[in-house]
Amino acid sequence: MPDVGACLWVVPGGHIPFPSNGPEPEFTGFDQICVLNATDRRADVELHLYYEDAEPVGPYALPVDARRVRHVRVNDLIDPEAVRLDRPYGALLRSPVPVVVQFLRQDTRLPGVVALAATMAYPA
Amino acid sequence: MRRFVNWSGSLSFTPREHAEPTDEDAVRDLVVRAREAGRTIRPVGSGHSSSPLARTDDILLSVDRLAGVIDEDHDRARVRAGTKLKTLGEGLYDAGLAMDNLGDVDYQSIAGATATGTHGTGLGFGNLCTQVTGVRLVTGTGDVLDISADDNADLLPAARLSLGALGVVTQVTLDVQPHYELRRRAWCAHVEWTLDHLAELQHTNRNMDFYWYPRSDQTQIRTLNRVDGGADERVWAAPRVPDSGPWGAPHEIRSGPSHRTIPQERDLRFEEIEYMLPSEAFPACFAEVRARIMQRHRKVAGWRVLVRSIAADDIWLSNAYGRPTTTIACLQNTSLPYEDYFRDMEAVFRQYGGRPHWGKKHWLTARDLRPLYPRWDDFQAARHRLDPDGVFLSPDLARLLEDT
Repeated sequence: MPDVGACLWVVPGGHIPFPSNGPEPEFTGFDQICVLNATDRRADVELHLYYEDAEPVGPYALPVDARRVRHVRVNDLIDPEAVRLDRPYGALLRSPVPVVVQFLRQDTRLPGVVALAATMAYPA
Repeated sequence: MRRFVNWSGSLSFTPREHAEPTDEDAVRDLVVRAREAGRTIRPVGSGHSSSPLARTDDILLSVDRLAGVIDEDHDRARVRAGTKLKTLGEGLYDAGLAMDNLGDVDYQSIAGATATGTHGTGLGFGNLCTQVTGVRLVTGTGDVLDISADDNADLLPAARLSLGALGVVTQVTLDVQPHYELRRRAWCAHVEWTLDHLAELQHTNRNMDFYWYPRSDQTQIRTLNRVDGGADERVWAAPRVPDSGPWGAPHEIRSGPSHRTIPQERDLRFEEIEYMLPSEAFPACFAEVRARIMQRHRKVAGWRVLVRSIAADDIWLSNAYGRPTTTIACLQNTSLPYEDYFRDMEAVFRQYGGRPHWGKKHWLTARDLRPLYPRWDDFQAARHRLDPDGVFLSPDLARLLEDT
């Protein structure tokens, strides 16, 4: 498989929806980062988060094995620091090998409504 | 002058003097000198506690250099106070022995862990201090006192967990057993399933606890069981859940000697509040904790809540004194705000008769604590007897122990 993707990706529009409605975890409002590593080498992806009013936090380690995908809910990140809900952030991902990054959001703020959004991250 | 910083980083202070005695005589000299000069000493182990038990602006006495196993036989071991649990586990293992249970981490000293009510989990297992059968300490008058069922037995229920308020513990004698092998397993399940099956899980596993994750309302269940063929009468001989089910089979984390299987590695630093509840109050208390976190604290309470169990004991300041106990601990990254969250949780815990972990965050004083401990006054009498001049009574200890 030829190397696919880029080594630096940007998601400027992070914002974990709050509150959630409906049974959880199925209907938890979340932001999710999806990483595809189609190469034959492990991708030790590092994530940094940027805020409006504070210095960046990171790195969050997101290793993705060779020829694998990894979907990570931003809500679940805790090391080095849990991400606050309902707070704007931007994400920068660096990988030593080319990967492809997609961003997903599930928004259940309105009871009875599930809003899904998906976009490719920006390959810098 | 050297600044002291605890494990989590939220407790720091600069003592006027930092002593690291290498033998008991040096401890005695320090205590006698402090008493004559009207000074205060606070002993410290590995500094894992985040409550200000060790805080002092006077003399901080580290027991780090009082370390090592002194001797052991088939059911007891005598160890120096500053021996780290990890080192102790290896030393006992080399002698074919092991402790009956351990906590979730093993970098505390044995004296610090037992003096603050450190515990593991398991319906049949008490706080670590229940494994202490003897204590040797240098009292506030500089005397060396052996306390056990044979010597000064009336002081044993005070000395097994003493917050460093009776003297400087230099040795402890532990009840030990032949070493044994455990298998650690874990799996995830929705919190409602875990709560519905909690009694089965607790009774059919040697050790069982669970994390609840407020960000997903899911749990991670963790169990430990013997894999060396040894029987344990504290565990029901009944099928364990889940044999199979919607959550899949538990996956093995590791197997091996108990001292390498029970403690976990912890690189990520966190702040923690933990309260010990009468087990019958747990379901209602946990429901309220869960609801309140979801309603009030979910934006910042990003990590997890740990639920464990402890057997009742008869140690005067043990937070499991006289009652089977279930504990709830809230963990928060050290870089995130914790005080509003923890104070709100403390209010819930107190409604259900909770007692705070001595070594973790809480805001109780002697006036609040005294009604929680039936033998409180007996402990204070022992303290006044062994430390009549208050050599070990720092302002923080006075807030905890002196009901003014």
